[in-house]
Amino acid sequence: MTAEEPRPGPAAFPDAGAAAAAAQPVNASQPTNASQPGSASDGEWLRVHPASPFIRGWVALAAIAFFFGRDFFERSLQGRPVFEEELAGRASWLLAGGGTVLLVSVLGFLLTWYFTKYQVSGGYVRVNTGFLFRQQRQARLDRVQAIDIVQPLLARIFGLAELKFEVADAGESAVRLAYLKIDDARQLRATILARAAGVAVDPAHPEEPSPEAPEFQVLSVPPQRLVGSLLLSEQSFFVVVGGIASVVLAAATDSQAFYFYLIPAALGLAASYWGLFNKGYNFTAAISPDGIRLRYGLLDTQAQTLPPGRIQALKVTQPPLWRPLGWYRMQVNVAGYGVVENAGEGSARTTLLPVGTLANVMGMLALVLPDPGTPQPAVVFGAGLTGLDSDGGFVTTPRRVRWLAPLGWRRNGFAATDTALLLRSGRWWRQLVVVPHQRTQSMALHQGPVARRFGVADLVLHTTPGPVVPRLAQAATEVALALFDEQAARARLARKRQTTEQWLRQVVPGAPAAATEPVAGPLETPTPQQQEGGQYG
Amino acid sequence: MRTEAIDPSGITWQRVSPKYVTVRVVQWALGNLATVLVLSLPLVLVLAGVWAWPPLWLAATVPAVALVAALWRLALIPRQVRAIGYAERDDDLLIRTGIFFQRTMAVPYGRMQYVDIGVGPVERALGLCTLKLHTASPGTNAQIPGLPAAEGARLREQLAARGEARLAGL
Repeated sequence: MTAEEPRPGPAAFPDAGAAAAAAQPVNASQPTNASQPGSASDGEWLRVHPASPFIRGWVALAAIAFFFGRDFFERSLQGRPVFEEELAGRASWLLAGGGTVLLVSVLGFLLTWYFTKYQVSGGYVRVNTGFLFRQQRQARLDRVQAIDIVQPLLARIFGLAELKFEVADAGESAVRLAYLKIDDARQLRATILARAAGVAVDPAHPEEPSPEAPEFQVLSVPPQRLVGSLLLSEQSFFVVVGGIASVVLAAATDSQAFYFYLIPAALGLAASYWGLFNKGYNFTAAISPDGIRLRYGLLDTQAQTLPPGRIQALKVTQPPLWRPLGWYRMQVNVAGYGVVENAGEGSARTTLLPVGTLANVMGMLALVLPDPGTPQPAVVFGAGLTGLDSDGGFVTTPRRVRWLAPLGWRRNGFAATDTALLLRSGRWWRQLVVVPHQRTQSMALHQGPVARRFGVADLVLHTTPGPVVPRLAQAATEVALALFDEQAARARLARKRQTTEQWLRQVVPGAPAAATEPVAGPLETPTPQQQEGGQYG
Repeated sequence: MRTEAIDPSGITWQRVSPKYVTVRVVQWALGNLATVLVLSLPLVLVLAGVWAWPPLWLAATVPAVALVAALWRLALIPRQVRAIGYAERDDDLLIRTGIFFQRTMAVPYGRMQYVDIGVGPVERALGLCTLKLHTASPGTNAQIPGLPAAEGARLREQLAARGEARLAGL
């Protein structure tokens, strides 16, 4: 062992790109705000709405009420005594016991509520929770990756909302505030976004609320299209096939049993369709200086805000059944959304467009990538969506590999614009992946024995966790190698150009209009289809 | 070491310590020998006459195949270790691994979130360490095993300094 032997453990970079450092639970032994540096004056500690614990725990309360209430009702309707004879003597004890349990849980709710406090100040949002095991979380405002306002049905009835604040952490939401009054939630979102954007706070009135950024609706998905997209999903295809198969089997074997198997399957399917419909209903996208606003939901509504430049990678897909109708789906990777936690919520949050036309897709692309980095965005991106061979400047898998990828070799390919790398694949399940150069984390070339024999290699771009996995499959080795070098250079340049995380600060003084109209990218002008992009809905 | 097809041209790869072969052999022994021993159990039992069912040829073939596969993997280890290389370029660190399934990875300094150094018991005895790089992407599974401890410490400091100088947001 030498003196220089390294100690195990991380050498964390100061302030490193946020992923590890942005949201850290601080072990708060001194929970009072006075002991927190920077929290002295400019942000007061606030509590969430008193009704929140009951809205969160309503399922448990409703279940208890249902079981006891039903018994009570039945007995009183039938004219029987509320308690059995032998229990009646102990009724007072039972009532006292039940009352204690209820009291303790209500007290627990109240204490939880009392000790949950939040504060926005000094470039941080802080949340204190817990009364036995206290936790203080703080998240840096300029690291905000996304802000969601979620309203479950019950909260919506009471005019409350939950605010979710994501920083670049793959795990759970950095900060969840449940529940606030809807207006307070909106106000807090506006404040956080304004601070995150670098809007200067008036030093004379630091308490003055930030105005909410104006927004402009870009598209909405009509319900009939949503229903159509659900009916034409792969799931429906298997439903039809499964249904036909069971009818045929039932007829062939003269047995009725198959129908019984269908009942639970049908219930599950109905629930699944309902979930997708409930989540996707009334989907609208709007643009504001704070970024892209997505709203959706029938009973439970959700409003997401994705600040500019927070989308790490994007994917446009088209299943074969959607092709005749020209529909597409768009999904994104956003740091902080992480991998899909539970199917419903997670996939809804990473969906940028559940179902849309080509014009919608181009409109959304213009929002995500205001500068497409090419003079002919419609041609290049159009070729990425539907093209084959070298349309739009795509470089495809060489012809000699057609035995490895008999269908895909004409479609597998990439094209690089000045701002993003486009990877397209899939003859049947068409897919276009777009990765902005400045979002590339790292990349790798892969080559297995068979690929080496054919002289091809795969290029994988690493991005934050999410539904998009950018991979260029089976490019000629020399092409992949050249792209590997070029992409490293492009990403380096793009990183240099990007100066600050506070997006409004990036705007050159004297050009304030540029900040409020991020839509006005070159993508907006060229094609006739795109011009109707903003008129949908 | 010859340059493979997917290696960028003009790169002089730094190789990891040849002593890392020992670490890999110990890992191999722990995994593979245990497997072979467990698979040989029926053979012993059949030979001892305790078990009647698996015919002798089957009881012998299974561990034999496992043994051959294990020996094959053992024979590959020195080449696999020689195939691990890294190179510090101006703006990124290149790491290559693999013989059959090759991978060449570029991790920009400005994207590194933190650098880990891990030392296992065998590595400690040999004065080696493993360096791990983390970016915001879990796909960046970048590690350089089998570095001499001094080189590991140097690299860590070097990467930290370069990362700080070129740090970019997410």
